[in-house]
Amino acid sequence: MSHHFIKFTDVTYRYPDGTEALKGVSLTITHGERVALLGLNGSGKSTLILHTNGLLLPTSGEVNIGGIPVTKKTAPEVRRAVGMVFQNPDDMLFMPTIYDDVAFGPRNMHLPEDEVRHRVDDALNAVGLHDVADKAAFQLSGGQRRSAAIASVLSMGPDILVLDEPSANLDICARNNLINLLDSFRHTILLVTHDLDMARQLCPRSIIMHEGRVCADGLTQTLLSDTDIMRDAGFM
Amino acid sequence: MASIEQRYISLSARKVNSAQGKEQAMLIVTLLYLVAVLSVPLYSPQKLIWLAAYPIIASEMEGCGFRRIFLKSLLIIPLVALIGIFNPFIDTETAFRIGNVAVNRGWVSFISILLRGLLSLQAILILVESSGIIDTINALRKLGCPSVLTTQLHLTCRYISVVMEEVIVMKRARAARGYGRKSYPLSMWGRFIGQLLIRSMQRATDIHRAMLARGFDGSLPLGTTMRWNSSAWIWLIVWTALIACLRFIDFSSLVVQFLHK
Repeated sequence: MSHHFIKFTDVTYRYPDGTEALKGVSLTITHGERVALLGLNGSGKSTLILHTNGLLLPTSGEVNIGGIPVTKKTAPEVRRAVGMVFQNPDDMLFMPTIYDDVAFGPRNMHLPEDEVRHRVDDALNAVGLHDVADKAAFQLSGGQRRSAAIASVLSMGPDILVLDEPSANLDICARNNLINLLDSFRHTILLVTHDLDMARQLCPRSIIMHEGRVCADGLTQTLLSDTDIMRDAGFM
Repeated sequence: MASIEQRYISLSARKVNSAQGKEQAMLIVTLLYLVAVLSVPLYSPQKLIWLAAYPIIASEMEGCGFRRIFLKSLLIIPLVALIGIFNPFIDTETAFRIGNVAVNRGWVSFISILLRGLLSLQAILILVESSGIIDTINALRKLGCPSVLTTQLHLTCRYISVVMEEVIVMKRARAARGYGRKSYPLSMWGRFIGQLLIRSMQRATDIHRAMLARGFDGSLPLGTTMRWNSSAWIWLIVWTALIACLRFIDFSSLVVQFLHK
């Protein structure tokens, strides 16, 4: 499993309207690391993570996941390894029931229905939603919807988990449950968040982005207590 | 505001359904019924009246309520009327007389078209209301309908929900700053619809990305196998037999013969 790393080499991305969201980003995340990606709104965090499973492809530079360069051709293979939890759980829950939503990924992997059922049960148990498997997403609370979105990714058995602001709009109880859940995930985690306490609790390493560039990379405790770095990144 | 939110909730609620063979049985019966209705000769509307038994009985059996189904089906009248409105003026040959009044074949065919439209829509409404649109689409797929078509239908349903969610958000935002204002100029509605389109497109893009991230390759995976239980088989066999009887036995002539005796 040690080959499940994320490597960005001088990645630049320009949106069709000309906005340059990433400006020569280079970073490496090794297997089993938990890394928080921090930065102000518009600093390029979400654009960066969309590159990790080929939803966006770099304008220049290279993204490599576990030894596979991310291209249009390799994207389906990469998406099996990289599970992405989006910022808005409602974007991920669109099937008639939570069970079908969590089964969406495994069924796309063309697994036998017994294996799909097994994976869905495991994922729903992991997030504590087994009792609501037959409900529709709109019948769940915000925290439950977030958990269901995570379960829909866990059921695919990803080696790398990428989460975009998972604690947004969660109450303290749901947030703590989420931290415990993520803490139990043993593979690589890349966590985009504005929740600095969550970053401290979960991620030994942090990468801080500012205006499309990596402006700091190091131990979370060190970075968050360094006023110069925090000022440069616009946090102060 | 409450109205659209209630509609959204009821739309979402109808999506939740247990995947049973009953949906497939209902779909097959509905397709048979549509064939039966559309195969009745254009100038024999009296045969269609007997076929009205299916929507009346089935809607009550499925708990949809025939009155509600009937009222909803009236929405199709302008469309079918447009199709047949010129028949009375084109096909002027006399079909029969009521006293001294001659009724031409155009009027007969016009009535026939109206009845076909109403009965067909009623059957489809019963299917969708009782099975739910998603399970109906799944049943279509299981019966061999191409996945490109069923996926389009599925995503269209999802897009309707997305648009409704955005309408609710935008209506709330406007009401919060409208200070009780009730009417707005036409130009504002133009901007509202433009914004709605852009916002819903953005949401649709986000949803598509989330689907791609979980291996979506253009075809929605089928759910669990639909199990045909006894009620599904009974529904299929009984209604197939009844629809065949209603279509092929001329009950109108039998009634007339009975009355003459």
